[in-house]
Amino acid sequence: MEKRDDRFTKQNLKLLVEGKLDWEEVKKAIRLAPKDADRFWKYLEVLQERVPWKEKMLLRISDHLYIVAKEGGGRVVKCDCGHEFGDYRANWKLSCRIYVRKTREEMAEVVSVEEAVPNPDLVEIREFYCPGCYAQLGVEVVPLGYPVIFEMLPDLDTFYREWLGQPLPDERPDWFQDRTIDMPAQWAKEG
Amino acid sequence: MGIGYQGKTLKEMLAEKDRLIRETGYFYGLEKLELAEEDPAKLTRFHMRLLAGCMSARETAKLISASPAAATMGEFLFEIATPEGDVVSASQGLAGHVLSVPFMVRAMIDLDYEDDPGIKEGDIISNNEPLYGAPHASDCYTFIPVFYEGELIAWTVGMNHISDVGGMLPGNLAGISVNAFTDGWQYPLVKSGENFKQHKWWELLWKTRTRLGTMNILDDKMRVAGAMALHNRISDIVEEFGVDYFMKALREILERERRVLIQRIKSQAVPGIYHLVQFHTVRYKGVTGKLFPNSDRDWLLHMPAELRILPEGKLVLDKEGLTSEADFHINCREAGVRAMASLGTRPMFAYSKTMNTAMMYVLDHEMPPGSMANPQNPFAGTISGLGIMGRYSVPLWNCISQAFFATGFLEEVMPHNPVIVAYGLGGVMADGFRWAGGNLSTVGVQSSAGRPFKDGEPVCVGSANLMTDLGEVEKWEFVEPTQLYIGQKLVPNYCGHGKYRAGLGLGICELVCEPGQHLTLAVFGSASSEVTGAHSGMCGGYPALGPVTYFVHDTNIKEILEKGLPYPTDFVQVREWLKEGKLKAGSVELYHGDTPNVVLKDGDLFVTACMANCGWGDPLEREYDLVEGDVRHGWLTLDVVKGVYGAITDGEGKVKAKESEELRQQMRDRRKERSVDAKDWWKEEREKVLTKQFSEDVYNMYADSSKYEKFRREFVGMWQLPEDYQL
Repeated sequence: MEKRDDRFTKQNLKLLVEGKLDWEEVKKAIRLAPKDADRFWKYLEVLQERVPWKEKMLLRISDHLYIVAKEGGGRVVKCDCGHEFGDYRANWKLSCRIYVRKTREEMAEVVSVEEAVPNPDLVEIREFYCPGCYAQLGVEVVPLGYPVIFEMLPDLDTFYREWLGQPLPDERPDWFQDRTIDMPAQWAKEG
Repeated sequence: MGIGYQGKTLKEMLAEKDRLIRETGYFYGLEKLELAEEDPAKLTRFHMRLLAGCMSARETAKLISASPAAATMGEFLFEIATPEGDVVSASQGLAGHVLSVPFMVRAMIDLDYEDDPGIKEGDIISNNEPLYGAPHASDCYTFIPVFYEGELIAWTVGMNHISDVGGMLPGNLAGISVNAFTDGWQYPLVKSGENFKQHKWWELLWKTRTRLGTMNILDDKMRVAGAMALHNRISDIVEEFGVDYFMKALREILERERRVLIQRIKSQAVPGIYHLVQFHTVRYKGVTGKLFPNSDRDWLLHMPAELRILPEGKLVLDKEGLTSEADFHINCREAGVRAMASLGTRPMFAYSKTMNTAMMYVLDHEMPPGSMANPQNPFAGTISGLGIMGRYSVPLWNCISQAFFATGFLEEVMPHNPVIVAYGLGGVMADGFRWAGGNLSTVGVQSSAGRPFKDGEPVCVGSANLMTDLGEVEKWEFVEPTQLYIGQKLVPNYCGHGKYRAGLGLGICELVCEPGQHLTLAVFGSASSEVTGAHSGMCGGYPALGPVTYFVHDTNIKEILEKGLPYPTDFVQVREWLKEGKLKAGSVELYHGDTPNVVLKDGDLFVTACMANCGWGDPLEREYDLVEGDVRHGWLTLDVVKGVYGAITDGEGKVKAKESEELRQQMRDRRKERSVDAKDWWKEEREKVLTKQFSEDVYNMYADSSKYEKFRREFVGMWQLPEDYQL
């Protein structure tokens, strides 16, 4: 490991992740130029220390979700509660529990001024929950039938090799491929 | 012999620049930054001299304007561009508009303006025509060429957003317009003046073709004065540094800035593919009627975005699937799309000492021909297209936020949904005086979204103008003499919820006073509360809420005021007062975005609100001390604190931790009970898609977007539809 860049310390990063860092210190981080070069590695350390499992984190993709390297091979999405969502190349939302708010009454529970409640003839509110801890991982306000939105498919091999200069051991040309459609295709086969 | 640097024609200069970028990837082929390496301090001094010239032009010229949008909000910009049209430096102000200038200069060069009408010292060239690079007709640009010993070495540019553009509806951002003719007065790259003076006929056009001739003429003088001041400053700078240094330095600054942007992306983001979608409603049915039959319908707009962060650090914003162009007010041409989408890049990674067009070489756009972002009809209505295309800044704010969140640069994470309203109004006073006005106050500033470590804040982010400002109420009242502000305030509960919620949206309540013979008012909304802002908040937070507008007619508000009683000051209070019968009204109209032209009378109320941004994270994880702050300050009411956040408070707003924990567990249990596995949900939803159980607007949206192969493939794949499935 190269020398620490402590112009923004791991401790301050931990506080920032927890929402506890003093605003004056946040402003210092904003003004830092150039940014601390080892931020990503410090971030992974901070995050890894917060979860009860041991798989190596490769990337955080949401408040609760991480892409992790499985020991036997593979890269999967994992919740901090420990629930696994499968291959990161398929949209993790299709491995969630889903609740859809379809009526004005159901939408009004989470849209707290009545004039701004969406029109149920046009859209529904989809909520995506972790099947392990029931944290709300995602929300979509979309028309009936809108394909589930795959918010982020990272090009992990390029990121680690070319941008961080530390290639992953299991590089493969097909890691950066959207595999989401495989899931409904399988469901259709199963009937 | 051309008029350009070293005797080249402008066409030759532009072709050489394009070729060098294409062949080398570097701006003007500058692999080596010689001036920066030889004497960086000198180059920085030069650069800052340009910036100072732009800022000085801004601060002095604005004193000429009578418009609150210019004089107090700073809705304008002064810029220095290369002969080929790349902006090297700009004042503070309307940030996106640096990216329109290259299109206008390119149009002049392509149209052989060097030959006819000719370009010479002292010429003034004006443009607000979207076909030639203006984002919309309300954005007026004034160009002055800078010559040195007979060679054109730069352009100075002044631009501002004027208050009325002479369209079918008064104002500058109409909610209804069916084509370029109803948009208002559009002038394409006109040589409007010579010898540093506008022609007489130019003033007559402002007086006859717009409703605010005097104010618009003063705005025009402001643009000319600032561009001239900048012209003179450049002449001084060339004398000091020499013309060869000047030309080389302009190019080096742009290449250096391009590299800074790429480096910021590569050091803080993650390459990959990001998606975000937005929707919007256009309600013309029954409004435009037989006069404009092609427009007599409603639309549900589909605005998908795929942001690709490439291995080389460049970005591509793909809009395939976007709604087709139509006879409405919100088509937009490339210059407008680039200008407005870039607003999401400025705070995220394109912050710099001075704004410039390096972004042209970092962010590519895919704009499907025939879509509302690339209309093929030369007379397409575009008066408010930039307001909607401004929402293509959201993928840049939100998706890049997601990328920065992934790498740990949380302090740079700043999602944003710029939900704004603007309105135009006009009429005839009792003495026969005809007048009009346009209010842009909420365009200049919005509340911010929740971030991964803190709540958003109210009324603090100017997505269009980084010098965030609402303007002054008194100034708006001065130019809108029928409107008395009786409320301008944050509206409780009006925000996207989340572990970190958005800053509250802003409400405005105006009382109509003595409108004389006639008064109408129409609102433009950049989003619709029928469908919210972007499809989502961040990481489980709820999306930004759309705008709300009430027109309350024939009220008893004047009696209430005369008695010195309390009175309603935002839309929630107006609604509750109406329910309770304390506020009486002959009729009430509620709108969720744009409004038609509504007739207002003395004692009517115009009540509107916007800026309710999106939340971050699961609301059930909101910390109790934040909830207590919400209650203490009156930002959230107790029913919302309990129903959305699962927090139970005592009479003093203190959270009862044990009871709240139990409630939150019950709410999680309820999630478990009423949710289903994705596969089961998919089966049920698929059946509805197969049997086409869509409302008319949704059906039409899918039918239109399915013309795009990529969207159709995604749609058919998601639901495993038969190949012959048609809409």
